[in-house]
Amino acid sequence: MKRAMMINPKDNTATALDDIQAGDTINLASKSGQVGEIRVRHAVPFGHKLALASIGKGDKVLKYGEVIGLATQLINKGDYVHVHNVESALLPPPKEVK
Amino acid sequence: MEFLGYERPDGSVGVRNHVAVISSGRCANEMAFTIANTVQGAVPFIHTHPCVRLKDDNDRALRVLAGIGGNPNVAAAIVLGIGCENPSPAKIGEEIAKSKKPVEVLTVMESKGFQDLMDRGLATARRMVSEASRMQRKPFALSHLTLGVKCGGSSAVSGMAGNSVTGRVFDRLIAEGGTAIFSETTEVIGADHLLAKRAINEEVARQFQKAVERMEARIRATREDIRGTQPTRGNIAEGLTTIEEKSLGALAKTGTSPLQGVLEYAERPPGKGLYFMDGSAMTSELISGEAAAGVHIHIYNVGGGISSSFRCPPGWMGEIPILPQIAVVSSQSKPRDSQEKEFFDIYANTIVEGTESVAQVADRLFEEIIAVASGKLTKRETRSGYQEPIVMYTTGPIL
Repeated sequence: MKRAMMINPKDNTATALDDIQAGDTINLASKSGQVGEIRVRHAVPFGHKLALASIGKGDKVLKYGEVIGLATQLINKGDYVHVHNVESALLPPPKEVK
Repeated sequence: MEFLGYERPDGSVGVRNHVAVISSGRCANEMAFTIANTVQGAVPFIHTHPCVRLKDDNDRALRVLAGIGGNPNVAAAIVLGIGCENPSPAKIGEEIAKSKKPVEVLTVMESKGFQDLMDRGLATARRMVSEASRMQRKPFALSHLTLGVKCGGSSAVSGMAGNSVTGRVFDRLIAEGGTAIFSETTEVIGADHLLAKRAINEEVARQFQKAVERMEARIRATREDIRGTQPTRGNIAEGLTTIEEKSLGALAKTGTSPLQGVLEYAERPPGKGLYFMDGSAMTSELISGEAAAGVHIHIYNVGGGISSSFRCPPGWMGEIPILPQIAVVSSQSKPRDSQEKEFFDIYANTIVEGTESVAQVADRLFEEIIAVASGKLTKRETRSGYQEPIVMYTTGPIL
Protein backbone atom coordinates (compact mmCIF):
# COMPACT_ATOMS: atom_id res chain seq x y z
CA MET A 1 0.00 0.00 0.00
CA LYS A 2 1.17 3.56 -0.73
CA ARG A 3 2.33 5.71 2.18
CA ALA A 4 2.14 9.23 3.59
CA MET A 5 3.90 10.64 6.68
CA MET A 6 2.30 12.70 9.44
CA ILE A 7 5.37 14.43 10.89
CA ASN A 8 3.77 15.77 14.10
CA PRO A 9 0.61 14.51 15.86
CA LYS A 10 -0.82 18.09 15.73
CA ASP A 11 -0.57 18.20 11.92
CA ASN A 12 -3.61 18.46 9.66
CA THR A 13 -1.49 17.54 6.61
CA ALA A 14 0.66 14.54 5.68
CA THR A 15 3.49 14.25 3.13
CA ALA A 16 3.15 11.64 0.38
CA LEU A 17 6.01 9.14 0.34
CA ASP A 18 4.77 7.64 -2.94
CA ASP A 19 2.97 9.03 -5.98
CA ILE A 20 -0.69 8.77 -4.92
CA GLN A 21 -3.58 8.50 -7.40
CA ALA A 22 -7.06 9.98 -6.87
CA GLY A 23 -9.17 7.48 -4.95
CA ASP A 24 -6.21 5.54 -3.47
CA THR A 25 -6.50 4.38 0.13
CA ILE A 26 -3.06 4.78 1.69
CA ASN A 27 -1.19 3.95 4.89
CA LEU A 28 -0.66 6.92 7.16
CA ALA A 29 2.57 6.68 9.15
CA SER A 30 4.01 8.76 11.98
CA LYS A 31 7.43 8.72 13.63
CA SER A 32 6.07 6.25 16.20
CA GLY A 33 4.54 3.91 13.62
CA GLN A 34 1.35 3.23 11.74
CA VAL A 35 -1.53 5.67 12.42
CA GLY A 36 -4.22 4.32 10.13
CA GLU A 37 -5.53 4.46 6.61
CA ILE A 38 -6.91 7.41 4.67
CA ARG A 39 -8.68 7.70 1.33
CA VAL A 40 -7.10 10.38 -0.85
CA ARG A 41 -9.48 12.31 -3.10
CA HIS A 42 -6.92 13.77 -5.54
CA ALA A 43 -3.64 12.77 -7.13
CA VAL A 44 -0.79 13.78 -4.78
CA PRO A 45 2.78 13.45 -6.14
CA PHE A 46 5.67 12.19 -4.00
CA GLY A 47 6.71 14.86 -1.45
CA HIS A 48 3.46 16.82 -1.81
CA LYS A 49 0.77 17.11 0.88
CA LEU A 50 -2.75 15.84 1.56
CA ALA A 51 -5.25 16.98 4.20
CA LEU A 52 -5.81 14.74 7.24
CA ALA A 53 -8.88 16.71 8.34
CA SER A 54 -11.24 19.31 6.98
CA ILE A 55 -9.61 22.79 7.05
CA GLY A 56 -11.90 25.82 6.82
CA LYS A 57 -11.15 28.88 4.69
CA GLY A 58 -8.69 31.10 6.62
CA ASP A 59 -7.79 28.30 9.03
CA LYS A 60 -4.25 27.26 9.87
CA VAL A 61 -2.52 24.58 7.83
CA LEU A 62 -0.14 22.59 10.05
CA LYS A 63 3.01 20.56 9.31
CA TYR A 64 5.90 19.86 11.74
CA GLY A 65 3.31 20.87 14.40
CA GLU A 66 3.68 24.47 13.14
CA VAL A 67 1.72 26.85 10.91
CA ILE A 68 2.87 26.61 7.28
CA GLY A 69 0.10 28.88 5.95
CA LEU A 70 -3.62 29.61 5.82
CA ALA A 71 -6.26 27.87 3.72
CA THR A 72 -7.59 30.15 0.95
CA GLN A 73 -10.66 27.93 0.49
CA LEU A 74 -12.32 25.00 2.24
CA ILE A 75 -10.03 21.96 2.15
CA ASN A 76 -11.67 18.57 2.73
CA LYS A 77 -10.09 15.52 4.34
CA GLY A 78 -8.11 13.64 1.68
CA ASP A 79 -7.70 16.71 -0.59
CA TYR A 80 -4.47 17.70 -2.27
CA VAL A 81 -2.95 20.65 -0.32
CA HIS A 82 -0.67 23.05 -2.19
CA VAL A 83 -0.38 26.57 -3.64
CA HIS A 84 -3.92 26.40 -5.13
CA ASN A 85 -5.51 26.32 -1.65
CA VAL A 86 -2.84 27.61 0.79
CA GLU A 87 -1.00 30.93 1.15
CA SER A 88 1.79 32.09 3.46
CA ALA A 89 0.45 33.52 6.73
CA LEU A 90 3.53 35.74 7.13
CA LEU A 91 4.30 36.96 3.61
CA PRO A 92 1.07 36.49 1.62
CA PRO A 93 0.90 37.83 -1.94
CA PRO A 94 0.12 41.59 -1.76
CA LYS A 95 -3.53 42.31 -2.51
CA GLU A 96 -3.03 45.79 -3.97
CA VAL A 97 -1.64 46.36 -7.45
CA LYS A 98 1.92 47.69 -7.38
CA MET B 1 37.99 11.35 17.96
CA GLU B 2 40.58 13.01 15.75
CA PHE B 3 41.24 14.03 12.17
CA LEU B 4 44.48 14.68 10.29
CA GLY B 5 44.92 18.37 9.54
CA TYR B 6 47.46 21.10 8.85
CA GLU B 7 48.46 23.26 11.80
CA ARG B 8 48.44 27.03 11.13
CA PRO B 9 50.56 29.67 12.93
CA ASP B 10 47.51 31.12 14.75
CA GLY B 11 46.61 27.73 16.24
CA SER B 12 43.83 26.97 13.78
CA VAL B 13 43.92 23.74 11.76
CA GLY B 14 43.24 23.36 8.03
CA VAL B 15 41.77 20.36 6.21
CA ARG B 16 43.23 21.51 2.86
CA ASN B 17 46.52 23.20 2.07
CA HIS B 18 45.93 25.59 -0.83
CA VAL B 19 47.75 28.77 -1.84
CA ALA B 20 45.08 31.40 -2.58
CA VAL B 21 45.60 34.04 -5.27
CA ILE B 22 42.97 36.64 -4.42
CA SER B 23 42.01 39.36 -6.84
CA SER B 24 41.23 42.48 -4.81
CA GLY B 25 39.31 44.15 -7.64
CA ARG B 26 37.66 42.80 -10.72
CA CYS B 27 40.16 44.70 -12.88
CA ALA B 28 42.83 42.29 -11.55
CA ASN B 29 40.77 39.13 -12.13
CA GLU B 30 42.58 38.02 -15.27
CA MET B 31 46.01 38.41 -13.69
CA ALA B 32 45.02 36.48 -10.55
CA PHE B 33 43.36 33.79 -12.66
CA THR B 34 46.39 33.42 -14.95
CA ILE B 35 48.90 33.23 -12.09
CA ALA B 36 46.88 30.66 -10.14
CA ASN B 37 46.25 28.52 -13.19
CA THR B 38 49.94 28.53 -14.11
CA VAL B 39 51.11 27.27 -10.72
CA GLN B 40 50.12 23.79 -9.50
CA GLY B 41 48.54 24.00 -6.04
CA ALA B 42 47.47 27.65 -6.33
CA VAL B 43 43.78 28.51 -6.58
CA PRO B 44 42.33 31.74 -8.01
CA PHE B 45 39.66 33.84 -6.27
CA ILE B 46 38.08 36.22 -8.73
CA HIS B 47 34.87 38.20 -8.23
CA THR B 48 32.72 40.95 -9.68
CA HIS B 49 32.55 43.37 -6.73
CA PRO B 50 32.74 46.82 -8.36
CA CYS B 51 34.26 50.06 -7.00
CA VAL B 52 30.85 51.78 -7.17
CA ARG B 53 29.25 50.26 -4.07
CA LEU B 54 28.61 51.80 -0.66
CA LYS B 55 30.21 51.12 2.73
CA ASP B 56 28.12 48.17 3.97
CA ASP B 57 28.79 46.22 0.80
CA ASN B 58 32.46 47.27 0.65
CA ASP B 59 32.84 46.08 4.26
CA ARG B 60 31.29 42.75 3.30
CA ALA B 61 33.67 42.45 0.32
CA LEU B 62 36.62 43.12 2.63
CA ARG B 63 35.43 40.44 5.07
CA VAL B 64 34.90 37.93 2.25
CA LEU B 65 38.27 38.44 0.52
CA ALA B 66 40.30 38.73 3.73
CA GLY B 67 38.32 35.88 5.32
CA ILE B 68 39.00 33.52 2.42
CA GLY B 69 42.72 34.32 2.72
CA GLY B 70 42.51 33.78 6.47
CA ASN B 71 40.57 30.49 6.20
CA PRO B 72 42.59 27.66 7.82
CA ASN B 73 42.33 25.64 4.57
CA VAL B 74 44.64 28.25 3.01
CA ALA B 75 48.38 27.80 3.69
CA ALA B 76 49.45 31.14 2.20
CA ALA B 77 47.84 33.93 0.19
CA ILE B 78 48.67 36.47 -2.48
CA VAL B 79 46.45 39.55 -2.78
CA LEU B 80 46.72 40.80 -6.33
CA GLY B 81 45.24 44.12 -7.33
CA ILE B 82 45.48 47.38 -9.20
CA GLY B 83 45.84 49.45 -6.03
CA CYS B 84 42.98 51.94 -6.45
CA GLU B 85 40.07 49.55 -5.75
CA ASN B 86 37.79 49.34 -2.75
CA PRO B 87 38.39 47.38 -0.54
CA SER B 88 42.08 48.19 -0.92
CA PRO B 89 44.55 45.35 -1.50
CA ALA B 90 46.70 46.62 1.39
CA LYS B 91 43.75 46.41 3.82
CA ILE B 92 42.87 42.90 2.64
CA GLY B 93 46.51 41.88 3.15
CA GLU B 94 46.59 43.42 6.65
CA GLU B 95 43.50 41.46 7.66
CA ILE B 96 44.89 38.17 6.31
CA ALA B 97 48.21 38.83 8.09
CA LYS B 98 46.35 38.65 11.44
CA SER B 99 46.26 34.87 10.88
CA LYS B 100 50.11 34.99 10.87
CA LYS B 101 50.27 32.93 7.68
CA PRO B 102 52.46 34.06 4.75
CA VAL B 103 50.71 36.78 2.72
CA GLU B 104 52.00 39.04 -0.07
CA VAL B 105 50.22 42.06 -1.53
CA LEU B 106 51.14 42.82 -5.16
CA THR B 107 49.64 45.74 -7.08
CA VAL B 108 50.02 47.33 -10.49
CA MET B 109 50.38 50.77 -8.89
CA GLU B 110 53.40 49.63 -6.89
CA SER B 111 55.13 47.71 -9.68
CA LYS B 112 56.97 48.60 -12.88
CA GLY B 113 53.99 47.53 -14.92
CA PHE B 114 51.91 44.57 -15.93
CA GLN B 115 54.72 42.16 -16.85
CA ASP B 116 56.69 42.95 -13.71
CA LEU B 117 53.62 42.22 -11.61
CA MET B 118 52.92 38.95 -13.41
CA ASP B 119 56.55 37.82 -13.01
CA ARG B 120 56.55 38.61 -9.29
CA GLY B 121 53.14 37.02 -8.83
CA LEU B 122 54.24 33.79 -10.49
CA ALA B 123 57.50 33.65 -8.52
CA THR B 124 55.66 34.30 -5.24
CA ALA B 125 53.01 31.67 -5.98
CA ARG B 126 55.68 29.06 -6.84
CA ARG B 127 57.59 29.80 -3.65
CA MET B 128 54.44 29.63 -1.49
CA VAL B 129 53.26 26.37 -3.08
CA SER B 130 56.68 24.84 -2.60
CA GLU B 131 56.74 25.84 1.09
CA ALA B 132 53.17 24.60 1.64
CA SER B 133 54.02 21.24 0.10
CA ARG B 134 56.45 20.53 2.96
CA MET B 135 53.69 20.67 5.58
CA GLN B 136 52.50 17.35 7.02
CA ARG B 137 49.08 16.41 8.36
CA LYS B 138 48.95 15.70 12.09
CA PRO B 139 46.16 14.43 14.38
CA PHE B 140 43.90 17.06 15.95
CA ALA B 141 40.75 16.97 18.08
CA LEU B 142 37.43 17.48 16.27
CA SER B 143 36.94 20.63 18.37
CA HIS B 144 39.12 22.42 15.77
CA LEU B 145 36.52 21.87 13.05
CA THR B 146 33.86 24.29 11.83
CA LEU B 147 31.06 22.99 9.61
CA GLY B 148 28.72 24.98 7.40
CA VAL B 149 25.45 23.95 5.81
CA LYS B 150 23.12 24.92 3.00
CA CYS B 151 20.03 23.16 1.81
CA GLY B 152 19.49 23.52 -1.91
CA GLY B 153 16.89 22.39 -4.36
CA SER B 154 14.78 21.66 -1.32
CA SER B 155 11.94 19.22 -1.55
CA ALA B 156 9.28 18.32 1.00
CA VAL B 157 11.44 15.43 2.20
CA SER B 158 14.58 17.56 2.81
CA GLY B 159 13.39 18.19 6.36
CA MET B 160 12.83 14.50 7.14
CA ALA B 161 16.03 13.25 5.49
CA GLY B 162 19.16 15.32 4.73
CA ASN B 163 18.38 18.23 7.03
CA SER B 164 17.61 15.96 10.00
CA VAL B 165 20.84 14.06 9.32
CA THR B 166 22.87 17.29 9.26
CA GLY B 167 21.18 18.49 12.46
CA ARG B 168 22.34 15.34 14.28
CA VAL B 169 25.85 15.75 12.89
CA PHE B 170 25.94 19.40 14.03
CA ASP B 171 24.87 18.35 17.54
CA ARG B 172 27.54 15.66 17.61
CA LEU B 173 30.35 17.97 16.46
CA ILE B 174 29.26 20.64 18.96
CA ALA B 175 29.26 18.00 21.73
CA GLU B 176 32.91 17.32 20.72
CA GLY B 177 33.66 21.03 21.21
CA GLY B 178 33.41 22.03 17.54
CA THR B 179 31.55 24.80 15.72
CA ALA B 180 28.72 24.88 13.19
CA ILE B 181 27.30 27.77 11.16
CA PHE B 182 23.94 28.06 9.42
CA SER B 183 22.59 31.05 7.53
CA GLU B 184 19.89 31.87 4.94
CA THR B 185 17.94 34.58 6.78
CA THR B 186 15.08 34.28 4.27
CA GLU B 187 14.74 30.60 5.04
CA VAL B 188 14.26 30.98 8.76
CA ILE B 189 11.14 33.13 8.25
CA GLY B 190 8.32 31.13 9.83
CA ALA B 191 10.70 29.06 11.96
CA ASP B 192 12.42 32.01 13.66
CA HIS B 193 10.27 31.78 16.82
CA LEU B 194 11.61 28.25 17.41
CA LEU B 195 15.23 29.29 16.85
CA ALA B 196 14.95 32.39 19.04
CA LYS B 197 13.94 30.12 21.95
CA ARG B 198 17.28 28.34 21.57
CA ALA B 199 19.35 31.54 21.94
CA ILE B 200 21.73 31.45 24.93
CA ASN B 201 20.43 34.82 26.15
CA GLU B 202 17.95 37.58 25.35
CA GLU B 203 20.54 39.67 23.52
CA VAL B 204 21.29 36.86 21.05
CA ALA B 205 17.55 36.23 20.60
CA ARG B 206 17.01 39.94 19.92
CA GLN B 207 19.86 40.12 17.37
CA PHE B 208 18.49 37.05 15.65
CA GLN B 209 14.93 38.40 15.44
CA LYS B 210 16.28 41.73 14.20
CA ALA B 211 18.08 40.04 11.28
CA VAL B 212 14.86 38.20 10.37
CA GLU B 213 12.75 41.38 10.64
CA ARG B 214 15.20 43.24 8.37
CA MET B 215 14.82 40.57 5.69
CA GLU B 216 11.02 40.51 6.05
CA ALA B 217 10.93 44.31 5.68
CA ARG B 218 13.06 44.12 2.53
CA ILE B 219 10.69 41.55 1.08
CA ARG B 220 7.55 43.56 1.97
CA ALA B 221 9.10 46.73 0.51
CA THR B 222 9.17 45.08 -2.91
CA ARG B 223 5.34 44.74 -2.75
CA GLU B 224 5.72 41.68 -4.91
CA ASP B 225 4.34 38.16 -4.71
CA ILE B 226 7.42 36.18 -3.67
CA ARG B 227 5.97 32.81 -4.62
CA GLY B 228 8.12 31.35 -7.38
CA THR B 229 11.14 33.02 -5.77
CA GLN B 230 10.57 31.81 -2.18
CA PRO B 231 9.68 29.02 -2.36
CA THR B 232 11.34 28.75 -5.78
CA ARG B 233 9.49 27.32 -8.78
CA GLY B 234 11.55 24.17 -8.30
CA ASN B 235 10.59 23.96 -4.60
CA ILE B 236 6.89 24.32 -5.49
CA ALA B 237 7.24 21.58 -8.12
CA GLU B 238 8.69 19.36 -5.37
CA GLY B 239 5.74 20.04 -3.03
CA LEU B 240 6.79 23.00 -0.87
CA THR B 241 3.86 25.41 -0.60
CA THR B 242 4.99 28.42 1.47
CA ILE B 243 8.15 30.04 2.86
CA GLU B 244 7.07 28.84 6.31
CA GLU B 245 7.00 25.22 5.18
CA LYS B 246 10.40 25.60 3.54
CA SER B 247 11.89 27.24 6.65
CA LEU B 248 10.44 24.64 9.02
CA GLY B 249 12.02 21.88 6.92
CA ALA B 250 15.28 23.82 6.83
CA LEU B 251 15.21 24.21 10.62
CA ALA B 252 16.03 20.52 11.08
CA LYS B 253 19.54 21.13 9.74
CA THR B 254 20.42 23.29 12.76
CA GLY B 255 20.08 20.37 15.19
CA THR B 256 19.09 21.08 18.78
CA SER B 257 22.14 22.88 20.21
CA PRO B 258 21.81 26.32 21.83
CA LEU B 259 22.28 29.32 19.51
CA GLN B 260 25.51 30.97 20.70
CA GLY B 261 25.43 34.08 18.57
CA VAL B 262 24.47 35.99 15.43
CA LEU B 263 27.21 36.77 12.91
CA GLU B 264 27.33 39.43 10.25
CA TYR B 265 27.76 38.01 6.76
CA ALA B 266 31.33 36.63 6.39
CA GLU B 267 32.15 37.24 10.07
CA ARG B 268 34.20 34.67 11.99
CA PRO B 269 32.47 33.21 15.07
CA PRO B 270 34.02 34.45 18.33
CA GLY B 271 33.61 31.06 20.06
CA LYS B 272 32.54 27.43 19.69
CA GLY B 273 29.07 25.97 19.22
CA LEU B 274 26.18 26.86 16.92
CA TYR B 275 26.09 30.25 15.16
CA PHE B 276 23.67 31.94 12.77
CA MET B 277 25.12 34.12 9.98
CA ASP B 278 22.97 36.82 8.35
CA GLY B 279 22.67 36.42 4.58
CA SER B 280 20.51 35.48 1.64
CA ALA B 281 19.48 32.00 0.55
CA MET B 282 21.63 32.17 -2.59
CA THR B 283 24.05 29.27 -2.45
CA SER B 284 27.09 31.00 -3.92
CA GLU B 285 26.72 34.03 -1.60
CA LEU B 286 26.35 31.79 1.41
CA ILE B 287 29.36 29.65 0.58
CA SER B 288 31.63 32.70 0.13
CA GLY B 289 30.42 34.00 3.50
CA GLU B 290 31.01 30.64 5.19
CA ALA B 291 34.49 30.23 3.70
CA ALA B 292 35.31 33.73 4.99
CA ALA B 293 33.91 32.83 8.43
CA GLY B 294 36.45 30.00 8.66
CA VAL B 295 34.26 27.02 7.76
CA HIS B 296 36.39 23.94 6.94
CA ILE B 297 33.81 21.69 5.33
CA HIS B 298 30.43 22.53 3.86
CA ILE B 299 27.46 20.15 3.95
CA TYR B 300 25.25 20.65 0.90
CA ASN B 301 21.81 19.15 1.41
CA VAL B 302 20.13 18.59 -1.91
CA GLY B 303 16.42 17.90 -1.74
CA GLY B 304 16.45 15.58 -4.68
CA GLY B 305 13.94 15.14 -7.43
CA ILE B 306 14.67 17.57 -10.23
CA SER B 307 17.66 19.09 -8.45
CA SER B 308 19.50 15.79 -8.17
CA SER B 309 19.35 15.12 -11.88
CA PHE B 310 21.86 17.68 -13.09
CA ARG B 311 24.98 16.65 -11.21
CA CYS B 312 25.33 19.67 -8.90
CA PRO B 313 27.17 22.07 -11.20
CA PRO B 314 29.53 24.48 -9.44
CA GLY B 315 27.45 27.51 -10.39
CA TRP B 316 24.62 26.02 -8.40
CA MET B 317 26.67 24.62 -5.53
CA GLY B 318 28.57 27.89 -5.18
CA GLU B 319 31.97 26.35 -5.65
CA ILE B 320 34.75 27.74 -3.48
CA PRO B 321 37.84 25.71 -4.25
CA ILE B 322 39.27 25.86 -0.72
CA LEU B 323 36.05 24.58 0.83
CA PRO B 324 35.30 20.85 0.37
CA GLN B 325 31.59 20.22 -0.03
CA ILE B 326 29.93 17.00 1.07
CA ALA B 327 26.75 16.63 -0.97
CA VAL B 328 23.83 14.83 0.70
CA VAL B 329 20.77 13.92 -1.35
CA SER B 330 17.37 13.37 0.27
CA SER B 331 15.24 11.80 -2.45
CA GLN B 332 15.44 9.94 -5.71
CA SER B 333 16.34 11.81 -8.86
CA LYS B 334 13.91 12.54 -11.66
CA PRO B 335 13.87 10.65 -13.93
CA ARG B 336 13.88 7.97 -11.24
CA ASP B 337 16.00 5.56 -13.25
CA SER B 338 18.92 7.99 -13.64
CA GLN B 339 22.19 7.16 -11.92
CA GLU B 340 22.84 10.65 -10.61
CA LYS B 341 23.08 9.53 -7.02
CA GLU B 342 26.70 8.55 -7.70
CA PHE B 343 27.48 12.27 -7.87
CA PHE B 344 26.50 12.69 -4.22
CA ASP B 345 28.68 11.77 -1.26
CA ILE B 346 25.82 10.64 0.99
CA TYR B 347 22.56 9.08 -0.21
CA ALA B 348 19.92 9.85 2.44
CA ASN B 349 16.85 8.66 0.54
CA THR B 350 17.16 5.41 2.49
CA ILE B 351 15.32 7.30 5.28
CA VAL B 352 12.35 7.90 2.97
CA GLU B 353 12.59 4.33 1.66
CA GLY B 354 12.47 3.10 5.28
CA THR B 355 15.69 1.05 5.04
CA GLU B 356 17.88 3.27 7.26
CA SER B 357 17.23 5.57 10.23
CA VAL B 358 18.26 9.25 10.50
CA ALA B 359 20.81 8.17 13.16
CA GLN B 360 22.35 5.58 10.83
CA VAL B 361 22.74 8.05 7.96
CA ALA B 362 24.12 10.63 10.42
CA ASP B 363 26.79 8.09 11.46
CA ARG B 364 27.76 7.67 7.81
CA LEU B 365 27.93 11.45 7.31
CA PHE B 366 30.00 11.95 10.46
CA GLU B 367 32.52 9.33 9.29
CA GLU B 368 32.65 11.01 5.89
CA ILE B 369 33.34 14.40 7.50
CA ILE B 370 36.31 12.96 9.40
CA ALA B 371 37.60 11.28 6.23
CA VAL B 372 37.25 14.48 4.17
CA ALA B 373 38.81 16.54 6.97
CA SER B 374 41.76 14.13 6.85
CA GLY B 375 42.24 14.55 3.10
CA LYS B 376 39.71 12.35 1.28
CA LEU B 377 38.49 14.21 -1.81
CA THR B 378 34.76 14.87 -2.06
CA LYS B 379 32.96 13.86 -5.26
CA ARG B 380 32.87 17.52 -6.22
CA GLU B 381 36.64 17.88 -5.67
CA THR B 382 37.37 15.02 -8.07
CA ARG B 383 35.66 16.86 -10.90
CA SER B 384 37.03 19.34 -13.43
CA GLY B 385 38.66 22.62 -12.49
CA TYR B 386 35.79 24.68 -13.89
CA GLN B 387 35.26 27.60 -11.54
CA GLU B 388 32.99 30.61 -11.32
CA PRO B 389 33.74 34.01 -9.77
CA ILE B 390 32.90 34.16 -6.07
CA VAL B 391 29.62 35.91 -5.26
CA MET B 392 28.98 38.15 -2.22
CA TYR B 393 25.85 39.12 -0.30
CA THR B 394 24.95 42.77 -0.89
CA THR B 395 22.14 44.98 0.38
CA GLY B 396 22.97 48.37 -1.13
CA PRO B 397 22.79 49.84 -4.61
CA ILE B 398 25.40 49.97 -7.34
CA LEU B 399 25.87 53.68 -8.03
